[in-house]
Amino acid sequence: MNNRKGTFSRGLLNAPYVIWSLVFILIPLVFVVYYSFFDLESGRFTLEYVKIFFTKPMYVKAFGISLLYSLIATAISLVIAYPFAYFLSRKKPASQSVQMILIMLPMWMNMLVRTYSWTTILEGNGLINNLLELVGIGPVTMLGTGGAVVLGMVYNYLPYMILPIYTGMSKIGQPLLEAAEDLGCNGFQKLKRVIMPLSLSGVISGIIMVFVPSISTFYISQKMSNGKVVLIGDLIEQQIKEFWAAGGLNRGAAMSFVLMLIILLCTFVMNRFTDDDEGGMII
Amino acid sequence: MVKEQNIIELHNITVSFDGETVLDDLDLSIKDGEFVTFLGASGCGKTTTLRVIAGFISPDHGDVFFDGARINDLPPHKRQVNTIFQRYALFPHLNVFDNVAFGLKVAGMKKDQIKEKVEEMLELVNMRAFAQRKIHNLSGGQQQRVAIARALVNNPRVLLLDEPLAALDYKLRKDMQNELKRIQRQTGITFIFVTHDQEEALSMSDTVVVMNEGKIQQIGSPTKIYNEPENAFVADFIGESNIIDGVMLDDFKVRLDGRAFKCLDKGFAVNEPVDVVIRPEDVDIVSPEKGELTGEVSSITFKGDYYEMIVDVCGFKWMVQATDEQLVGAKVGLVIEPDAIHIMKKSKYSGMFGDYSTFSTEMDEMEEEARLEEERLEEEAAQEEKGDE
Ligand SMILES: Nc1ncnc2c1ncn2[C@@H]1O[C@H](COP(=O)(O)OP(=O)(O)O)[C@@H](O)[C@H]1O
Ligand SMILES: [Mg+2]
Repeated sequence: MNNRKGTFSRGLLNAPYVIWSLVFILIPLVFVVYYSFFDLESGRFTLEYVKIFFTKPMYVKAFGISLLYSLIATAISLVIAYPFAYFLSRKKPASQSVQMILIMLPMWMNMLVRTYSWTTILEGNGLINNLLELVGIGPVTMLGTGGAVVLGMVYNYLPYMILPIYTGMSKIGQPLLEAAEDLGCNGFQKLKRVIMPLSLSGVISGIIMVFVPSISTFYISQKMSNGKVVLIGDLIEQQIKEFWAAGGLNRGAAMSFVLMLIILLCTFVMNRFTDDDEGGMII
Repeated sequence: MVKEQNIIELHNITVSFDGETVLDDLDLSIKDGEFVTFLGASGCGKTTTLRVIAGFISPDHGDVFFDGARINDLPPHKRQVNTIFQRYALFPHLNVFDNVAFGLKVAGMKKDQIKEKVEEMLELVNMRAFAQRKIHNLSGGQQQRVAIARALVNNPRVLLLDEPLAALDYKLRKDMQNELKRIQRQTGITFIFVTHDQEEALSMSDTVVVMNEGKIQQIGSPTKIYNEPENAFVADFIGESNIIDGVMLDDFKVRLDGRAFKCLDKGFAVNEPVDVVIRPEDVDIVSPEKGELTGEVSSITFKGDYYEMIVDVCGFKWMVQATDEQLVGAKVGLVIEPDAIHIMKKSKYSGMFGDYSTFSTEMDEMEEEARLEEERLEEEAAQEEKGDE
């Protein structure tokens, strides 16, 4: 083996990724951190913008609601995805791949389109209310409620919960489950003693992969609540879009930065639950 | 100690997958405390039989009895049977101790009692020092021991072992054979052991069950299976055998290769065609004029403590094992004592085995295919020639 050549060609192969992460990840990150602490106009260091996140009621409230809704959406996704992934992983390989495609199918559609189509289903004279009217139940307000926002999150991010759990579960081979039965496990004990511990790292990944986009989402909330529910993501968008020069960029950057720290902290804590040598870190 | 009553009985068990019959009307009784081995080539249905006993497969037809009670509908977790799986199936999220403790925890045993039993069991398989190890940090042999301990700690009435030694190298396998035998004697638990290795089967078992194509070919003690194989398949599968067409002239008298031989078998019809088994080590080589049969040595191989030679007697290739060297091409005489001859009824396996032109049927098939191909080419060439004219 020519070791040096190997390293060199590997370096060459890596180059696009290095450039990619530099241009699209690292540099933007530097900007975010910079504008969190340095005033756009004066260029002076300040903690003013970061402090807003914790002191201004509007921001605190938006963050609280974001946290609440994303936690609920994550929990609902988990409750739906776990049994789904389990039964899927126990099916014949052929029907597994068909169902997997069915799950992925909506993901091929643009998220805006998907969310927008939900609004036409939920709105005052939308599909559901028309059906309800037929049986004599009167129009129910759905669009514009917190429930609609949570629904939007669950609908958009559910596949990200199913996929890692399903992957983890399909790695639990039939022999292992038979061994558990052989050693006296009934269905419930099998779930508790073998399936749950062995699918834990998939669950953790799923939680992170649903929670992170949910807490920082903005489009879903605007469409599903007609702008009535304001999440932290909406505020960031609004600040940057509408008040760019008037400190909006700084406030947006600072909020993004704090949110990022909180998310990092959450994932770090979550990852503590899994074994170090299994699954690995997911950020 | 092998007791009188049967612990497991299989009655008319038939299993098929996708219309393919895998177990065909299987009947079998296993005595309490017995060391039974299922022996057969890969794919003959050994694992399937174990899975029927463990409860992972319910047979299409037939009944499974345990201690005299029908258990067809009893789920695996309620059967007093434990399994050592083909690839061990140890739990990767648990360490050695917790793997062994698994069954006891499920059964709800008290913690200190679990600790005591698990440690005792780890002692038995010589793995006490590794109690806290993770499974993937163990060697194959160590995983094997953990699997044994994990099954035995539950004190099952029957232990099923599915080719547990197949993954181990030769010497370790020998040691583990002895160890399993010792554990079986010590605990008195009924062992149902699966292997495709005939030497392993003969050296470990009280009873050997020879299987082929989903059917039991013979059940018996290792010596019985070796000395009195029931048909050509068993004779060929267990050890080396010359299997020759013969005709039973009378009780204790058989004709083969045009010559009458004395034998110890009786109870056949007069002039009944039979298969005659003669083991290579039971044939004596003498000078041609003293031989009951004469032939020519067509090859000889040194095997360490004996020579293995192929002797051509009127076109039939005999395998003979002897301590004296012969030259290739030498004329020799063969002498066969009455107790070296074993007579079998004709079966569907007659004529398939027992001639040593080649050792394996695969080789036979390859040669046959090559011969046919050659004929075809010749024919083609002949046709072309005709066309040219
Ligand atoms: N779950 C199954 N589905 C389909 N065919 C199977 C299944 N299990 C076993 N078989 C088939 O049944 C036959 C016997 O298998 P098995 O009992 O595992 O044989 P052995 O253990 O003697 O090697 C094989 O031909 C195998 O392909
Ligand atoms: Mg098998």
